[in-house]
Amino acid sequence: MLSQFDYVKPLVLDEALDVLSRDTDTYILAGGTDLLIMLRHELINARHILDIKAIPELKVFSYVEGKGLEIGANVVVNKLIESEVVRDNYKALHDAASCLASYQLRNRATLVGNICNASPGADLPPALLIYNATVKIASKDGVRTVPLKEFFTGVKKTQLTKHELVVSVFLPEPGQDDDSCYLRQTRLKGHDLSTVGVACRIDKNGKACIGINAVAITPLRLTALEDELNAKGITEESILWAADEIKNHIRPISDVRSSKEYRLHMAGVLFKRCMMQLMDKEA
Amino acid sequence: MTNIDDKDMCAMEAAHINSKNRQVLLTCRVNGQVVVEEIDPTMLLLHFLRDRLKLFGAKEACGEGECGACTVILNGEAVTSCLILAIEAQGSEITTVEGLSKNGELSILQQQFVFEDALQCGFCTPGMLMSARALLDRNPDPTDEEIMEGMAGNLCRCTGYQQIFNAVKCAARLEREELNRS
Repeated sequence: MLSQFDYVKPLVLDEALDVLSRDTDTYILAGGTDLLIMLRHELINARHILDIKAIPELKVFSYVEGKGLEIGANVVVNKLIESEVVRDNYKALHDAASCLASYQLRNRATLVGNICNASPGADLPPALLIYNATVKIASKDGVRTVPLKEFFTGVKKTQLTKHELVVSVFLPEPGQDDDSCYLRQTRLKGHDLSTVGVACRIDKNGKACIGINAVAITPLRLTALEDELNAKGITEESILWAADEIKNHIRPISDVRSSKEYRLHMAGVLFKRCMMQLMDKEA
Repeated sequence: MTNIDDKDMCAMEAAHINSKNRQVLLTCRVNGQVVVEEIDPTMLLLHFLRDRLKLFGAKEACGEGECGACTVILNGEAVTSCLILAIEAQGSEITTVEGLSKNGELSILQQQFVFEDALQCGFCTPGMLMSARALLDRNPDPTDEEIMEGMAGNLCRCTGYQQIFNAVKCAARLEREELNRS
């Protein structure tokens, strides 16, 4: 059933990067909740499995006031849900983490794995995008940091090369008077992938940020729509305008979860609900 | 091999592994017993428990972490053993449904599943019990919502969810009473 692979579990980052620089048919194992399914269905042929769970640098979960929150590649989703820092400062991420899969899976699934798997419908990216998340990537050649917005390149595709490893994701400090939320539509309550998911944020300057999944080949940050909305000023009227306009900024397809038309419609509905929720709290 | 203590176990969990020969030595503790087995690194934890250790409680149904029938407790956390390689459990503490009863006597939680008729065909029951065990271990006094959330990763094809919910709720109360008495 599974491909014939060997298993390496290094204790230091350098060794992991060594392994990645040597072979191109190495797959990185953190939580394994996506990888094991791909192995099972023989969607990939792995020769080497690199288990990164014993590498200390990848366990980082640290918040520095005024700077932001760094989430290492080994941090599991349940840890995000339990974190007061996430709940108080990055509300949309708390919301998104809480609706991801089931309790058992969240004990294994990692945030970094969720972005590296790069599913267009992944729950965490919209919440990360509205907080201008950056991705720290390491290889034998050194470390580079890229905005999450540029990290995704297609369906299940990222700009990560076979020789690279994501060390952590960084979320800048949002500051006071910042609020956000994430809402998603699924076919059933429980652990279904989202039909559409929308994350909205109103920052300390009163500017709106919008992240969305399952409506394009990658999760999106709708900056053009944000600019137009923020130019108008955030009012009930402009929110209704943007809820209608959002369909011109996304390109959903029809699939097993939903028709294209329903996605176009629900994107507007969820956006409106998110923004109203944030406005209500402010008032 | 049986006098491996906690310190050794922790050292193993953090130990470097490189399975060049496609065979690797797995040492872990299952239901309190130290187990040392040579395995193929492609072996799933679920298959290790069932095929090697003949612990048939954890079931294979969906094989994708959707149904929860294979749930076991790994280092205190409920996990789906169908999505974990056996070798990932190196140096770990694993509890399966076989480890819930003590000296041949069912635990309070198991007894409540019996009293509340919280099983029909029984296929999902070991997974349900392990999710419930992990829930009550981290939260001895869960709200109704918390019980539902904690059990949401376990599907019952007979759809007897209400009885399962009742059993977990009663067990939580009885376990707290037991704790207060002792």
